[in-house]
Amino acid sequence: MDSLDPRVLRLPKVGEPGVVQPKVALDQFGSFEVFVQPREGKPFQHEGIVHSPNIELAYVLAKETFTRRFTCTSLYVVETRNVFVSPLTDGNRNVYDLIAAVPASGEKEDYEVYHLQKRGKQHVHVGSVKAGGLEEAMSMAKLAFNAGGIYNVWTIRHSDIRFTKPEELDLWTTLPEKRFRDAADYKGGDKLKNFLEKRKML
Amino acid sequence: MNEIGLKELLYKMADDLLILGHRNSEWTGMGPLLEEDIAFSSMAQDKVGQSLALYTILHQLGEQDPDTVAFTRNAGQFHNCILVELPNQEYDFSLIRHFLFDMADALRWEMLTQSSYEPLSLLAKKVRGELRYHTLHATTWMKQLGSATETSIARLQQSLTTVTPFALAIFEESPYEKEIIESGVFEGEKVLMEKWKLKIADVISQTQLMLPDWKTITPMLGGRTGKHSEHLQPMLEEMSEVFRIDPTAEW
Repeated sequence: MDSLDPRVLRLPKVGEPGVVQPKVALDQFGSFEVFVQPREGKPFQHEGIVHSPNIELAYVLAKETFTRRFTCTSLYVVETRNVFVSPLTDGNRNVYDLIAAVPASGEKEDYEVYHLQKRGKQHVHVGSVKAGGLEEAMSMAKLAFNAGGIYNVWTIRHSDIRFTKPEELDLWTTLPEKRFRDAADYKGGDKLKNFLEKRKML
Repeated sequence: MNEIGLKELLYKMADDLLILGHRNSEWTGMGPLLEEDIAFSSMAQDKVGQSLALYTILHQLGEQDPDTVAFTRNAGQFHNCILVELPNQEYDFSLIRHFLFDMADALRWEMLTQSSYEPLSLLAKKVRGELRYHTLHATTWMKQLGSATETSIARLQQSLTTVTPFALAIFEESPYEKEIIESGVFEGEKVLMEKWKLKIADVISQTQLMLPDWKTITPMLGGRTGKHSEHLQPMLEEMSEVFRIDPTAEW
């Protein structure tokens, strides 16, 4: 049965590659995928989506939307339409079983490869390959990174990504005296408990 | 070192940041775009945090504690420029104010990394990352909206024309300007203003906006000596409402 949730309806059918449906012009800003590096040495992982009129602003908005509270060392963004998505898988099927070899063609460029290794988790960067296109990159990824048990793969052309520039790395060195940003700092549970206890005594 | 001059510098910086932080926080929940709402609110928090750091230095110099200083003074005792206290209007106004003020603010802090007064130079290095974000945010929006559509260009241009006389008053000189410069605490408002004009012009030249001829503008001075617009006192009353009812309240 079809879902009533428009987000579910937009998903491609299991086992088929996704098709991006064209939108009404100026309906809303385009979307950009945000990847963050939580700690030095950790791989970048997909964190979410921002809406923006261009990639520069997407980068600016992504910084506060996704990295204001948690530790983060770097972030980058890419326009959603530039993310090439593998077919979806069902059960425990390894997605690379569905990816055919693509003959090499064209000029080689760098492509970044991301795996979904656990259902409900986000895509994590696993490495990069040289290829002549997005589909070829995915078949190259199959040769390079197919360890089995992978549910979904993304490939993104390196040059489509807006990376953090070296001089921008200090964006995440901020004043630490901002506990008021953390929900935990308001100790809501304690205040409620005190309030309820006071009421009991009355 | 001239301590009155130093305090005057710290107070005007802290008051600018507190008042603008509060004004910008009034957009929370009403921003034009969810992501922008988050970013603008977050920068407002940064500003309040920076003002707290400055009030803390003042406290160490013998002034009252930060909460008392922030919440119990009247408008006439605030040293902020009038620019930061003006009520939010449309978002174009707030963006232009954010751009003009934050470019000056970032340059001021950059200059203060060389300050002979160590607590200030250390703080200046600590806030660098936040300021990089604030100016990146401001210039990216300027470049986008300053060349996007006829409406966006016209609206930004109108706000730019309205705001520049107030922005020029950011650089209202202190009576202790000479001592502050000679003691190496700060290079002074004149140097800052010249740097700012160049920076502003560089960004504006990448848009379809026009900067007014500086010579034709009269700065809206007075804020630094406590002569404010009628808008500051009501804002302070709202900001300190809870504190005035119960100074021990926690929330």
